[in-house]
Amino acid sequence: MSPASLDEVLVAAAQGGSAEAFSRLVERHQQALRAFLRRACGDWAMADDLAQETLMAAWSRIGRLKAGASVRAWLCGIGYNKHLTAVRSAGRERVRGAAYEADRQAALDAAPEDKIALDKAMSGLPSEQRACVALCLAADFSHAEAAEALDMPLGTVKSHVSRGRARLLQALGVCDEAS
Amino acid sequence: MRQADDRLKALFALDEPPARDTVFSTAVMEQVMRQRLREEVALLCAVSVVAAGVLWLVWPTLQPALVAVSQWMAPAVGAIAVAFCATMFLGGRHGPGLGLAS
Repeated sequence: MSPASLDEVLVAAAQGGSAEAFSRLVERHQQALRAFLRRACGDWAMADDLAQETLMAAWSRIGRLKAGASVRAWLCGIGYNKHLTAVRSAGRERVRGAAYEADRQAALDAAPEDKIALDKAMSGLPSEQRACVALCLAADFSHAEAAEALDMPLGTVKSHVSRGRARLLQALGVCDEAS
Repeated sequence: MRQADDRLKALFALDEPPARDTVFSTAVMEQVMRQRLREEVALLCAVSVVAAGVLWLVWPTLQPALVAVSQWMAPAVGAIAVAFCATMFLGGRHGPGLGLAS
């Protein structure tokens, strides 16, 4: 069974109220969702909180997911909206804390200088551009899939990806013939 | 171009959480089950309140009807109860002989 058709079967079962099917969807898509949120907000602790909120919201709204729709894109779309809401509300209470930040610090310590430069460049990108880059350059989303997930016009996504990519490569000191 | 994209992807890959994270998945499912329980309890409470309200409204009409019906039905209900008890008793001891084998 292909991953897409397995998703369809699991979504249909979850829409029928199966928590077990939803649990399998969580297992299958948590990595993509959390990675996207980590790149989109740059804060691992917050990203994991948002991922959890996203999956809770997904459970409540699973009935609205159309048959054949990409679960990964749908989850990232919900996650992106949660991220925007969190950014808007200042002083957001953090559920997780030091342990996650320590994980991130450990990863950064072990990371090459390039990674630090990339993170810095990512944090300098506007939020929409950052989300487009996180989906299309890091997570292999097509432009169309990212446009659907982020609810943006296709042309906007393409231009965000192109500009974001140019800025990231510039920060890394990579000369790219295409840009 | 391909090389630059590959380099970006390799650096982005350092952000990836594990493909299987049972701690995270369990935490999510725990929250989901809690939410489900809260929804079921809320629904049950709402249904109970509505049912109590409806009963309170129709009780003046329902009560005389129930009294009349219960007086009329009392012998029938009693007979059914006796028959049921007898069936259960005999079914347990002589069930196979009476064709009541389970």
